[in-house]
Amino acid sequence: MHLGLHNIHISDALSVWRRNLKVYLRLWKTELIAPVIEPVFTFFAFGFGVGALIGSNVSGMSYLSFVGAGVLAFTVLMRTVFEMTYGAYFRMVYQSTYDAILATPVNAESLAAGEIFWAISKGVIDSLFILPLIVIFGSAESFYTILAIIPLILGCLYLGGFALGVTAHIFDIDNFNIFFALFFSTIFLCGAWFPVDILPFWLQIIAYLLPTTAVIDLTRACLSGNFYARHLYELIYLLVVSFLAFEWALRSIRRRMVV
Amino acid sequence: MNHAVEARNLIKRYRNFTAVDNISFDVVEGETFSILGENGAGKSTTMRMIACRSPLSGGSLKVGNFDVMKNGREIRSMIGIVPQENNLDPDLNVKENLLVYSRYFRLPKHSIDKRCDELLDFIRLSDKKDAKVDHLSGGMKRRLVIARALLHKPKILLLDEPTTGLDPNVRLEIWEKLEELRSVSKLTTILSTHYMDEAEKLSNRLVILSDGKIISDGVPREIIQSNVKKYALEIRGLNAAEASFNHPKIIMQKRGSTHIYFADSMEVLTPLLQRFAAKQPILRPSNLEDVFLQFVKN
Ligand SMILES: Nc1ncnc2c1ncn2[C@@H]1O[C@H](COP(=O)(O)OP(=O)(O)OP(=O)(O)O)[C@@H](O)[C@H]1O
Ligand SMILES: [Mg+2]
Repeated sequence: MHLGLHNIHISDALSVWRRNLKVYLRLWKTELIAPVIEPVFTFFAFGFGVGALIGSNVSGMSYLSFVGAGVLAFTVLMRTVFEMTYGAYFRMVYQSTYDAILATPVNAESLAAGEIFWAISKGVIDSLFILPLIVIFGSAESFYTILAIIPLILGCLYLGGFALGVTAHIFDIDNFNIFFALFFSTIFLCGAWFPVDILPFWLQIIAYLLPTTAVIDLTRACLSGNFYARHLYELIYLLVVSFLAFEWALRSIRRRMVV
Repeated sequence: MNHAVEARNLIKRYRNFTAVDNISFDVVEGETFSILGENGAGKSTTMRMIACRSPLSGGSLKVGNFDVMKNGREIRSMIGIVPQENNLDPDLNVKENLLVYSRYFRLPKHSIDKRCDELLDFIRLSDKKDAKVDHLSGGMKRRLVIARALLHKPKILLLDEPTTGLDPNVRLEIWEKLEELRSVSKLTTILSTHYMDEAEKLSNRLVILSDGKIISDGVPREIIQSNVKKYALEIRGLNAAEASFNHPKIIMQKRGSTHIYFADSMEVLTPLLQRFAAKQPILRPSNLEDVFLQFVKN
């Protein structure tokens, strides 16, 4: 079987990535304010607001510590998804940026890969700003905190790939509403704001099938320093899903752009 | 004569609709070749196949000895593309548009800046290099797209309706730039247009497409001479009785409210010119549009 992955030229993907970086650096002030404001307020709302109502420990930690990973992962993933839905759709349809790029030696797979790498980078940049906040608020105590970048990158890869694949299939921007309705409703199941184990059994099954649950659980493990065997399974699951989503995105962009 | 492009029995289908229907043509190295046709004739589709953006449904297509189905990368590094719709990057300014684009061609870093300035100079946009693209006029945008297509010194330039929607002065300016380009390099140019004057003025050879098929091809002047008479007299607002008469050397054609009389010499048309002087008739050499409309009408 011929993988789309094999068509990627890394340096072409990097050129696409650098185009996005250039635009980002021009707008960096506005680009950075949102990811900082959002988590701070989410943190206040959940950590102090909801947290005040929860006296007992949650999964063996204070609610503030518990919710830190949720805030971090939620913010980073959401930014990636926005970048790979509305951001990508604008470049693809309204600005014809993809058309312009595909008139050069850059092929569809390198283009898609560059876009996804960019979405991941945006997530990483955001998390580098949010992580210190989480440390300051006292919800990350472990030396392993910085390792949280790994599950977050994988999360951005799988969700970014999936989102770009969806974008490649969309011909009317309003159709994103369905995608976001699903995205936002499922993300509540994924252990960001409360542990998955308190859900009824059948919902737990759904929750554990959603790769986002693995992203959040692994992030939490890094922030708290408590690792269990299930984290290894989650990591493998995430790697597999990321690969599939990425490959699907490459193929979908080719099918959309080269007709 | 080397061929820059060789198309054999080229077919493009979208589902069950055939946009390009079994066409064959060659483009000779260094010439300007036009693809003429009305809306939906298949011009852009043909261009997209040459640019390796659209897989063939049938036939074969070679660009500079490379097969479009196999060597997309090689082909795209030797062609410059000016698409029908401008697709400059609105997130970047004028010069950045060129700089960022040059990376996609992997141009050597040290020469990029100079090359961009050179091209901005060529299209006379040097003083706008920091402007936002959205603030450029239509003509400036078009020139910038052309400059962008020239960054990597392509061997073949594809121009999809380069002057559609531009005012006559700007069109002239763009034609001049294209001629200037041809005079300094051995650039092969393939252009699509619905403007007959454009094809006539710029191209060495052309094909006329209609519904995805080639209905005529050759050298512009010869096509005109072999298909229509030399002179055309246009008269507006004649009623049917006035318009109709028989003359063995005159052919009449009606377009909207205008009647056009074709003949091989001006003398044959002079009586008509005098008879309808009040209607301000226009006597002119016949052009590709006359050929084109005759073909398309049939
Ligand atoms: N992606 C597509 N899917 C389906 N049909 C298409 C697609 N692209 C083009 N077509 C159809 O193919 C035909 C030829 O289109 P094309 O764009 O090549 O015409 P054109 O000669 O460039 O016309 P214009 O002068 O309007 O630009 C049209 O009928 C068009 O509707
Ligand atoms: Mg067209």
